[in-house]
Amino acid sequence: MKTMVKSLAAALFAGTALTAHLASPALAETVLRVDEVAVGELDPGKATDYADSVLMFNVYDTLVLSAQGSGGVVPHLAESWETDGVTYTFKLRGDVKFQSGNPLTAEDVVFSLDRMKTLGQGLSYLFAGVQGAEAVDGSTVKFTLSNPYSPFLSALLRLPIVDKKLVMANLGEGDGEMKDWGQAFLSTNGAGTGAYKVVSHNPQQETVLAKNADYFLGVPAKAPDTVRYRYGLEAATVRTLIAQGEHDISSQWLPPEVLKSLAAEGAQLLTESGGSGFYVKMNTAKPPFDDLNCRLAVANAFDYDAAIKMVAITDTVSQGSPASGPLPVGMMGSLPAADAFKRDLDAAKKHLSECQHKDFTLELSWIGEVPLEERFALLMQANFAEIGIKSEVKKVPWALFTEMVTKPENTPNISQVFVNAVTGDPDTLIYGMYHSSASGTWQSPEYLKDAKVDELLDKGRTVTAQEDRAAAYTEVSKRLRELQPSIYAYDQTGVFAASKRVSVPALSDPSKGFSLNGMGFTFRLMEMNE
Amino acid sequence: MPPVVRLLAKRLGTSLVVLIGVSMLIFAIARVIPGDPARIALGPNASADQVAALRERLNLDQPIVVQYGHFVADLMRGDLGVSLYTNRPVTTDIVQFLPATLELVLVAGVMMVVFGLPLGVVSARYRNSWIDNLVRLVTLLGVSAPAFVWAVILMLAFAYFLPLFPIAGRISDTMTIPTVTGFLMVDTLIAGDLRAFGNAAWHIVLPAFALALSGIGQAARLTRSNMVETYDKPYIEMAQSYGFPERRIAGRYAFRPSMIPSLTIIGLDFAAMLGNAFLVEAVFAWPGLSRYGVAVILRKDLNAIVGTVLIISAMFLIVNVIVDLLIAFINPRIRYSQRAS
Repeated sequence: MKTMVKSLAAALFAGTALTAHLASPALAETVLRVDEVAVGELDPGKATDYADSVLMFNVYDTLVLSAQGSGGVVPHLAESWETDGVTYTFKLRGDVKFQSGNPLTAEDVVFSLDRMKTLGQGLSYLFAGVQGAEAVDGSTVKFTLSNPYSPFLSALLRLPIVDKKLVMANLGEGDGEMKDWGQAFLSTNGAGTGAYKVVSHNPQQETVLAKNADYFLGVPAKAPDTVRYRYGLEAATVRTLIAQGEHDISSQWLPPEVLKSLAAEGAQLLTESGGSGFYVKMNTAKPPFDDLNCRLAVANAFDYDAAIKMVAITDTVSQGSPASGPLPVGMMGSLPAADAFKRDLDAAKKHLSECQHKDFTLELSWIGEVPLEERFALLMQANFAEIGIKSEVKKVPWALFTEMVTKPENTPNISQVFVNAVTGDPDTLIYGMYHSSASGTWQSPEYLKDAKVDELLDKGRTVTAQEDRAAAYTEVSKRLRELQPSIYAYDQTGVFAASKRVSVPALSDPSKGFSLNGMGFTFRLMEMNE
Repeated sequence: MPPVVRLLAKRLGTSLVVLIGVSMLIFAIARVIPGDPARIALGPNASADQVAALRERLNLDQPIVVQYGHFVADLMRGDLGVSLYTNRPVTTDIVQFLPATLELVLVAGVMMVVFGLPLGVVSARYRNSWIDNLVRLVTLLGVSAPAFVWAVILMLAFAYFLPLFPIAGRISDTMTIPTVTGFLMVDTLIAGDLRAFGNAAWHIVLPAFALALSGIGQAARLTRSNMVETYDKPYIEMAQSYGFPERRIAGRYAFRPSMIPSLTIIGLDFAAMLGNAFLVEAVFAWPGLSRYGVAVILRKDLNAIVGTVLIISAMFLIVNVIVDLLIAFINPRIRYSQRAS
């Protein structure tokens, strides 16, 4: 017994003595440690959140890729395509193999679309207007749409191509020929062509990815060999880990104070912008915001400069930049930065005096899971009080909020949401917010009904020339500025604290950035500095 | 029937009734709190059709009584359904995450006994001396602050300013141990890897100590007050007058009866830690069931909520039965009262 106790004590001592050695990975292998608050969903057919997207962009590939720096899409798995507006025919590259070793074929593309549409989860709604896809031959695939839908090419950024043979060999329990469509298998395994393979996946802890040496574009030697994508770390834990050199890139959800203190200690601040905004939404279906003048009064009373200062990290880095309209500055059809909103108390008072509703009390809601919104609710309360508008601040849990907004009478006068364009295309940002057919969701608590806006949003979907689309979105941006259904508080910028061990050009050099949120975390484009 | 067996049968019967009650209660509560689980699971971009389809697949479009019927039928087959949070069977999640929490709680429980009881004995033995005052002050601090505060303080002190212990996780990234039991300290020994065992033990020290501090304080203070009371009993005075050694009086005559309330508290604390460990697990990125439980509650993941609460309740009841048996073993009066009844 004594010997056993001594052995255990010796082992414990040895473990403790090896602290420094064990905490650091071996020099030969570079390990990148990144975190995200929400657990990453590995099944590419269900990917919606940030972590899901990051995993998808690294484990899977798509027919087209978001262009670095310029926006738009460029060929990726597809080397070329032709379209008549309703059909899209893609010619696939011939040198692509899945991580399993299976060659990429047109059948895999058809299977991936069928799987996504059948599961009906994630971002499958983007393909609701796609009638189907067919393999013309081994390397040619044709998509047929119900109606012309110009954002289709950018929607393909959300159609990861899955290894049909591998999935079919691993079908789980379920009904019919396709059983579970490989859901059980793909929830813990990868079946893509991507630059990184899934090594392990523990939803409570992390997903471990390793470099795919056979990637068709090659993976640079300086890209991390292993990536540990950690989940649910507390802000205090991330702060301590980065300060101790045991973590490399934080999520964008760290409080500004923590980001500031990490920056002060020498951490670099990485940024991602252009695809999302912070919107203060007014319910136009009930008083007082059924009156345009009341909407214009609060929009002019809102202190835009204070809002930007509230999310500033340093003198040069902020989690927000001035907004000029519903589309973030730089996105196709957006209004120029020079047109950014400014506070105008005189105009606010004038509009208030012309509003038909008098002596009302606004309900200012904020989402309980987003503490930052409480600060904005209080800012608005103070701003509106300056022109004599009374308001009550109300905390609403997200789950309740999504139910409340389904009926205009239950929807608060003011709601606050962050919205991002899931494909980088303006259609996926503002169609769901402002088209009258889309009213009553978390994105559209404004209940806006405007024929002109509907017409322009539909036009943005149907015209094919990029210039015509851009013109339609510019026009709708101007129309929305006139109608002011929302206060465009700021264009959102994701800020990540990072150690000096890693260089991320896509998140530090605007000429190499992507217009699609999450794509900056393409690990093969990162460089480890030691 | 021997009294201990009768006691065990009685306690197990009561526990089963409690467990059925808990399952009905949590099943109902989880369904009446605001928010549509299908909407939350599918994310903010899901269409109304997608939400409706998932509601139908989860039987959420049926009356709650019918839903409970489905749940009980599935439970009989050992199926707790699929978690919308992890997209895996809830049983798979529980099997993966429960050992991490149990290991943490067990080590914390050992710390409570190893530190809490002796501190109480020493404090009582040297009552009103500086040693007693020091122990009382330290244990008061332990009881006063919640575990997550201690977690952050310990992390800052012993992982950040004085980097003696790791900040997060159960084992260093460079080590891979095949999972047999899920208890890393056991699996490392099964694998015969003493270095990994030491590493796992090194990782568990801070979170377990943060979790145990409150219990250590409670156990020490309770043991002290009970022992002080016991020391005033006539039979202790008699033992002292017979000239028995002090160690024998403290250990055999004063400590044993004083231990019963402490043991009850430790048992309750131990069971409560299963549910309360989530903040410590969150701070130390410990992939356990408590943290999972909170995550699924926030996402209104109905199957996972019910599964987690049931498992934690079952653990709570099992620990209570064990404590009852231990007390019966230590205290003959309880054994005999069972026989009499």
